Amino acid sequence: MNNKNTALTAAIVLFGLLATSVLFAEEAMPKAPAASKAQPQVKPGTTPDARTMSAYTQKGADTCIKCHDEDSVFPVFSIFKTRHAQTADKRSPFAYLQCETCHGPGAEHAKKVPPGQNQAPIITFGPRSKLTKDKLNPVSVDKQNKICLSCHQGDDRINWHGSIHANADLACVSCHRIHVAHDPVLSKTTQAEVCYRCHTKVRADFYKTSVHPVRAGLLTCSDCHTPHGSSAEHLLIKPTVNQTCYTCHAEKRGPFLWEHAPVAEDCSLCHRPHGSVYPALLTKSLPLLCQQCHSVAGHPAVARTGDALPGGSSPPSAFLLAGSCTNCHSQVHGSNHPSGVRGMR
Amino acid sequence: MNTTIRLLALLSLMAPSVLALADDTPKIDTSQWKCKFCAFEEPGVTGALDIGIGYVSDDSYKFGEYNGLNEKGGYFIGNAIVRIRAEDAKYWNIDINNAGLDSRSVNIEGGKQGSYELKLNYDELPHNITDSIATPFLGVGGSNLTLPSTWVRAGSTAGMTDLSNSLHPTDLQTKRKRVGVGATFIASERWKYAVSYRHETREGTRAVGSAFFFNGAQLVMPVDYVTQQIDVSASYTGNAFQARFAYYGSLFSDNNTALTWQNPYVSAAGADSGQLAQPPDNAFHQLTAELGYDFSERTRATADLSIGRMTQNQDFLPVTTNTSLTGYPFALPRSSLDGLVDTVNGKLKITSRVTPKLNLGLTYIYNDHDDKTPQATYTWVSTDTNVNSTTRTNLPYSFRQNKLKLEADYQLTGNTRLSAGFDNDKNDRTYQEVSDTTENTVWGKGKVRIPGTAEMTIKLAHAKRDIGNYEALPWLSPEENPLLRKYNMADRDRDLGSLRIQLLSFNNVSVGFGFEYANDVYSHSSVGLTASRDFSLNADMSAVVDAKTTLYIFLNHEEISSQQSGSSTATIADWSGENKDTIDTIGFGFKHTIIEKKLDVGGDFSITNSQGRVIVDAGSAAAPFPDINADFISAKLYAAYKLRDNLTLKGTYWYQKLDSTNWSYDGVAVDTVSNLLALGQTSPNYSVNVVMMSVRYQF
Repeated sequence: MNNKNTALTAAIVLFGLLATSVLFAEEAMPKAPAASKAQPQVKPGTTPDARTMSAYTQKGADTCIKCHDEDSVFPVFSIFKTRHAQTADKRSPFAYLQCETCHGPGAEHAKKVPPGQNQAPIITFGPRSKLTKDKLNPVSVDKQNKICLSCHQGDDRINWHGSIHANADLACVSCHRIHVAHDPVLSKTTQAEVCYRCHTKVRADFYKTSVHPVRAGLLTCSDCHTPHGSSAEHLLIKPTVNQTCYTCHAEKRGPFLWEHAPVAEDCSLCHRPHGSVYPALLTKSLPLLCQQCHSVAGHPAVARTGDALPGGSSPPSAFLLAGSCTNCHSQVHGSNHPSGVRGMR
Repeated sequence: MNTTIRLLALLSLMAPSVLALADDTPKIDTSQWKCKFCAFEEPGVTGALDIGIGYVSDDSYKFGEYNGLNEKGGYFIGNAIVRIRAEDAKYWNIDINNAGLDSRSVNIEGGKQGSYELKLNYDELPHNITDSIATPFLGVGGSNLTLPSTWVRAGSTAGMTDLSNSLHPTDLQTKRKRVGVGATFIASERWKYAVSYRHETREGTRAVGSAFFFNGAQLVMPVDYVTQQIDVSASYTGNAFQARFAYYGSLFSDNNTALTWQNPYVSAAGADSGQLAQPPDNAFHQLTAELGYDFSERTRATADLSIGRMTQNQDFLPVTTNTSLTGYPFALPRSSLDGLVDTVNGKLKITSRVTPKLNLGLTYIYNDHDDKTPQATYTWVSTDTNVNSTTRTNLPYSFRQNKLKLEADYQLTGNTRLSAGFDNDKNDRTYQEVSDTTENTVWGKGKVRIPGTAEMTIKLAHAKRDIGNYEALPWLSPEENPLLRKYNMADRDRDLGSLRIQLLSFNNVSVGFGFEYANDVYSHSSVGLTASRDFSLNADMSAVVDAKTTLYIFLNHEEISSQQSGSSTATIADWSGENKDTIDTIGFGFKHTIIEKKLDVGGDFSITNSQGRVIVDAGSAAAPFPDINADFISAKLYAAYKLRDNLTLKGTYWYQKLDSTNWSYDGVAVDTVSNLLALGQTSPNYSVNVVMMSVRYQF
């Protein structure tokens, strides 16, 4: 680790540079106007397209609800059971321009049109806007997300830009449902189903015999992954695989007197976190798993065959059966016993 | 380091290009925006209460592994949702789930939206591992396992004549209980503060192996852990600049320090008992800063830095408990480890839309796990029996990763997008066979959209990992085979590919196909892992048939295989091993409204067949391994009948079956192996029916 200090210094300098330039820049930025029911202003960046599309409605949400009632093609009433419709929270869309906070000016859209003609466009959200020729839905994913991020850019969305989900052209509403009382992706018991819509292989993984309790609804994807971008690979909630695993398996953190090097490096060298056909989420059966890295002369180097199974031509072998290597070398995650050199104490 | 300097220079160049958004915000007259048709929630209490009974037809630890339905018999169904709304955005939400089961949870959150939020939660998470085991040891669940007074020691399990008399069934299970509290304060439009604390206990038992020389015994080890986690954060959300500063603390403690057990075999060298270390108490503290900044409408940078420290300083156990050994008691160079690992994790990312069609991204990742634990030389006693003639020095393994990622994304046409990238991943290690590895990856991705019809994404990547010198570790005795290449530090060629096609041919029907593969070749490894391959095919479909019916189906076929070589003489390879897993999964389900607003029914079905095949070619005729199989079926049917507007009768029938085999366990009784006193665990097999009836009262 001879150049660790220089790398650390460089990282601190980077932070300093970024923070300094930001502080000055923030001063130069116009602050978002305070929301006022009497005379609200459009937040910068909130509805970049809206201003060129049409004027705002005369009566706000009352105009929209005339058509978008509970029986319409696009029912919206459940939004009143959500945080977005809390007028006492000044950050809420309904404390601001109501429906048009997110959907933009709607006067043109609200105009009556002759039978057979489409309404004038309005900002809408969803994958159809990019996957169909529907001219009513021309808003790109990037622009959709900008509208959401104008309020939700902070916290764990800081890393959204350039994240794997952003680069996959996911809209916020690809996963989130806004006009429902309970967004399924925010519930531990229903979240995984949302993720499985794209991650179909992972869904199958959780039907294997050795799994984390996701099918039981006691653990969910966001317990390990942060879908809005992360500093870690695989969108993990902590910077490394091991730090993520230690949030539930802190007993394996150590540091131990006798460390097992691959364990300290990366749990996934031996475990498949989404599911395995072998016990303890292991990548393969023992002793082959251990023999990938241990070939010391003597018993670790010997091929173990079906001959050593019960009823085989050789006596049943402790090197093969039950816990195999771990029958004796049980402290595979590290040992703090002075005599635990080989994981046997 | 050069990479860091280049990033520094790039950032410096970009800093002056900061753009400010013009203050051209129009004013809107909303004096007529009365929102008189808006159905805002009124102050009051609403919610729903599920009360009922369920019945489980059979005992099964595997069926109830996590859901708490492991015992035959009836159980109470209790779920509740309570929503309290008050004036001025004040609220409380209370959720209670699985009140009658070991997987119960209670979540309470409330406060004043936009000002503060408080959280309190409690949950239990069972892990029922197996109930098919037996042991002759007394004191199971404690830290001192003894043998009955009638126990007959022997040189092998066959000679343990009191075994059948002493054997008693037991189980392996753990249960986590978590209590969490948290608070969030929204201090201003831009600043938010949060604090949370979680206290978790995990109690129960697990299996552990133990040995005296080559005589082994599987033991039941107590689990009595406490883990506390603290999160404190301050978040700033500005128009162009966002930041989050956080502290994370994790404190682990184990109420047991060791497991002591009596030697069931004829003692050698006076080793009448042995002692295993339990996981030591440890702590982790971490400070994190995350920054995000929009240099302009087109360019954004984010930077994360986490600095952490892992510590562990639990008093050492004695070198051995065997007082008969010459030299006892053995001196330790220190009384505890004073273990210390400093971690630094950083990431800097810059993305820029250089032109309306071209996006560029640059990411630098730095991960450092610097183990500063002091080294010392230890006398060690192998399995409480043999004082080793050579001492050993502990090895504080350190790891450092420097990774640079470059990517470009170009919108070729309105419906075609191409991406490509290059990753350089450098990993340094200490005290290991290889000090540094470098892996370079090139990848490309294409996304083609046929409007209204389909979207196809294809991604290909090739990676090549090169290592420096591979040097066998000098302190191992006997030394490792010099031809072995540990796979995480071996030369490797990796090919990755994936294809995803999403069809949108019909209204309300979504059909997708996917294909993924990963192929690794360790071309310079003659002993060790030489190749591995993971390949899967999947398809899924969801459809809204009509206003009353929705359905879904998914299929997945996966093959995971690997090849490795071994050498029984610790020289050139003279045997090979192959592992091949094949897993097929199919699932489908439906929801249907039979009587509108009165009777809904639904079902979820899944079948998974998996097969794990192990082939070992030892160079001479040998019996093959039987496959490791698991056939899993789950079928759930449910219905909800509305008795009144606020009263619904719910019924569920659930059938689940698992047939599994695993040669590691099957046929291995406690005394099958002459030098292993096993627990006699068997592969799980069950067929369970569950019936649930409940009423939902809404208020």
